[in-house]
Amino acid sequence: MMDLSLLMMILGALLILVLCSVLSFKYRDLGFYGAIVAIILGSSAITLSAPHLIYYTAFVFAIGIINLASLKVIKSVIQGVDYGLVGLMVLVTLYIFTTQNLAMILAAFVLVSVPTYILVMVREGGANVEVGIKYITFMVLATVLFLIGAITLAYTKNAFNGLLYLLGYMMLVLGLSIEVGVAPLHEWVPDVFTSADPIPMSIIASLAKIVPFIVALRILISTSNSLTVSITLFTAVLAAISMFTGNIGALTSKEHARILAYSTVANMGYVLACVVVIIQPEYFYFALTGALLMLFANAMGKIGFFTAIKSGGAFSPTMYLLAFSFIGLPPLMGFWGKLFILFSLVKAEYIWLVALMVLNSAISIPYYLRLARELGVGWKANLTNFICIAVVIITLITFLPDWFFRGMEVIAQALRIAI
Amino acid sequence: MNEWLVFLLLFLAPVISSVPIVLAYKSEKWTAKLPPLSVFGIFVSVVMSLYILLVLPEDQQYSYAWIPEFGINFVFMCDYLSRYMGVITAVIAFFIAVYGLDYMKGDYRPSWYWFFYNLFTASMLVVVYSDNLFLLFVGWEGLGAASWGLIGHWFRDDDDITYVGREGRKAGPLVLHWPPSFGGWRAISTIRFGDVPMFLAIAAIWALSPTLNISEIEWGSLFGTIGAAGTIILLLCLLMGLFTKSAQVPFSEWLMTAMTGPTTVSALLHSATMVAAGAFVFIKLTWYIEPWTLHGVHGLEYVYLLVLFVGLLSGLYGALAGSGMLERKVLLAASTMSSIGLMFASAAASFWVGHLAVLVAFWYMAVHAFAKASLFLVSGHLIHATHSRFLCGGLEFGKKMITPFIVTIVATTFLVGIPPLTAYWVKSGMDEVMEHLFHEVGFLPLILLVLTSVVYAGIMAKFLSLNFIKGEKPHHEHTEGGGLMKLGYVLMVSVLFVLIYLIFTSEETAEFVHAGYAPVSFAVGFAVLIAYVVALSKPRISALTKLGTFFNDRMYLPVVNDYIMPKIGFFVSHLVQDYGNRGIDGFFNTKVIPGLFGGISRGIRTIQTGYLTRYINIVLGLVMFILIVVVVGGWWL
Repeated sequence: MMDLSLLMMILGALLILVLCSVLSFKYRDLGFYGAIVAIILGSSAITLSAPHLIYYTAFVFAIGIINLASLKVIKSVIQGVDYGLVGLMVLVTLYIFTTQNLAMILAAFVLVSVPTYILVMVREGGANVEVGIKYITFMVLATVLFLIGAITLAYTKNAFNGLLYLLGYMMLVLGLSIEVGVAPLHEWVPDVFTSADPIPMSIIASLAKIVPFIVALRILISTSNSLTVSITLFTAVLAAISMFTGNIGALTSKEHARILAYSTVANMGYVLACVVVIIQPEYFYFALTGALLMLFANAMGKIGFFTAIKSGGAFSPTMYLLAFSFIGLPPLMGFWGKLFILFSLVKAEYIWLVALMVLNSAISIPYYLRLARELGVGWKANLTNFICIAVVIITLITFLPDWFFRGMEVIAQALRIAI
Repeated sequence: MNEWLVFLLLFLAPVISSVPIVLAYKSEKWTAKLPPLSVFGIFVSVVMSLYILLVLPEDQQYSYAWIPEFGINFVFMCDYLSRYMGVITAVIAFFIAVYGLDYMKGDYRPSWYWFFYNLFTASMLVVVYSDNLFLLFVGWEGLGAASWGLIGHWFRDDDDITYVGREGRKAGPLVLHWPPSFGGWRAISTIRFGDVPMFLAIAAIWALSPTLNISEIEWGSLFGTIGAAGTIILLLCLLMGLFTKSAQVPFSEWLMTAMTGPTTVSALLHSATMVAAGAFVFIKLTWYIEPWTLHGVHGLEYVYLLVLFVGLLSGLYGALAGSGMLERKVLLAASTMSSIGLMFASAAASFWVGHLAVLVAFWYMAVHAFAKASLFLVSGHLIHATHSRFLCGGLEFGKKMITPFIVTIVATTFLVGIPPLTAYWVKSGMDEVMEHLFHEVGFLPLILLVLTSVVYAGIMAKFLSLNFIKGEKPHHEHTEGGGLMKLGYVLMVSVLFVLIYLIFTSEETAEFVHAGYAPVSFAVGFAVLIAYVVALSKPRISALTKLGTFFNDRMYLPVVNDYIMPKIGFFVSHLVQDYGNRGIDGFFNTKVIPGLFGGISRGIRTIQTGYLTRYINIVLGLVMFILIVVVVGGWWL
């Protein structure tokens, strides 16, 4: 009964989104308000049916609202539809933990991915077609690999075949890697990040990264078996390569957007490392907490920095706080993300990966500080600064993340999906 | 009132109340007005500590979650030790702060002083009340940082009155004249030397025990798991932190040059914080380890034997060094080291004697705290009045400074153990404890204790005599004013009367009173009285000048801090500079690492041509390759 009303409310939210998007061709603002109403409706639906998800929902809600607000900074040619697209992505991201159905989960994966195809081309007074082609080509490849991998894994769950399992695992991880930009499959990231408009980039670099990881984690957990332990090494190596590529790339880049592109590659490496902990199910909730905090911290930082790039700088203290969060200074959110990931990796006995991750955090210090120094300007009361202050506040909310962690413990138990 | 609010106010009131003066550091007008606010913050702590003592139930633990998964929480224990020690700390800090309002008037950086002074107090309170070792270590490090700030407070090194040692005095390669900035550095470097092993010991306990709460750790089984060698190594690492903090031999030098700080700092440092922290933590650990029940644990006895003798030797060393000293504060510093040594020794004796020995150590700490703080405050006032840091002032001067004169008489006689004054009863307990060691350790501890007590009485009498009775006439006399200063030490010394009342009325100290009537105690007390009287009438013996100079130079122990350790440091740095540098530089700065970064960076950059076809080639190629490898590998599996 509960599930049905949840579904009804989500469908209602979707309906509002579609209607408002259509109407927004005439009244642009309607798209914005429609998206907000839809997100509020979706969030309340999720909170009512699954109260333990409240913290996750709150964070996603906040990211969504800030993403929508930041879209106000540019005047895109697709008028209010861009709000609708972001609203759709938020709804899907909210929904992802509540279903046990493989088809729904895979649909969610696609539904978060496809809106970004359009968003990436958004810019003032035209469409960024060249970037779009590059991006879409990669995304299609990623989606195909991911879906085939997921289906193959699901198949082996019921009719076990070692070779098929390995192939499925590989395809899923490789698809995920292309989708979020894990090195050495990250080629699209620096190009797209630097040539697309910073505002849509801030959405692709924040909101769009959450669902792919959750979907991958849920499928991998549900299908793990005795072979997982040996194949995990591959993921760990991939994560390590991504960390180094991202951090060294960012360290030796000058352009701000390019630094953020490589920083994304590095951060995705950190999050990918959590996949390793599947081999230690009893400690997996540490990894899940770490991955989500890392993704949220990454989202907050990317939104702040990209908005600052768009407006030629933002209030200096906010830039530094975001940089400190990325570096991983306590008590900011980035610190807790890294701490929980490191702790879970220790429990999974991947000590070398822990060492490399700590080393990489050290490598990242100079370029984040440089970014903060160059993007930091004096105070001005404008939308950019309000967005930056909002993301900084959210970054500081996890001063003592005990409550978040407790919530994750419950969520981690219901991670497996019905196959 | 809610308990969490009590603790929050207790720890944060001093810190928060000193924030305004920090923010106003540029305005002379405001920094002159704001110190009372900082003092008020400490007063709030006094009220809270009294509330904990009088209202909250005893032996109650209060735990507030921080990161429970890692066993790291805000855990506070209101046991017998911490309830009293908390009040002692807060009250002493408050009295000294009141005194400081006068003493620090017109100082060149009041913001620095008050912030670190209050941080110092708050850190010590954290150490006192925390049950969690990690939280305790947080306070412990706060003590270290604040002591650095306060000892080097007069960082300009521009006034000889802030120095330690005599200008131009040298002994071999040693320059025996230390400025404040150097004093601060010596303190922090010595303490760090012990803090690192201590941190490792706490980490080891964290790894071995399910909890970090001192009162809940199963010490017996913990020691059992790691065996004799493990127990010894673990406790030695822990003791490194305590010994360096409490300035026990051979780590005592920093305490002597810590006298370069303002006198208020010396007073607080020596009575209720810092040096007392080391001894207090040892007492607290021993209280919960209950070593007298763990005679089956191998290795534990050696550790306690070591502490016993390090304590007794520090006691004797401090007293002897003090006997040769002519600087007001350094003499008191040496005597503090001696007293702290006795606290360690009697707490360590609990291994053989039991619970009583810990109580003796704790009560001696309490009596010593108030007496020594009074003496320091008096000497600060004297330094202001005579503008000299050396002992000086005859009877004529004493009559003008009648209040400090009387306070000094009370503080010294009550501290050295003259019957029937306060410390006598505690010292009697200590005599009894050392006497009990006869079967296991022999008579040596008792002999060392008696020797220390006698010399100690002598140096206290010397302090009194050379400042007010038989000292040289001061070159400069400024005996008026100082109302708040007088108030500070009069209040401080009057607590000694409260303590004697408590000793006679409290259940725990009944054994002290009993011991006070024993012939041995009485004999020791009598010897102490004789030494006191002799030193009072003859504070300087010209025939022993050479020996006195040797003692005044702290038996050349500065050689460790100022000669041997720097030599080691220079040796290492030369090694690095002459041989290692090229390699290290080449590895980190010019060749290997930069080359690696450059190479990787170039590699990353060459991929990024901007052509989609190239990207697709790379990605598809990689994917295909990996999948083929998996297929081949999977088949082979």
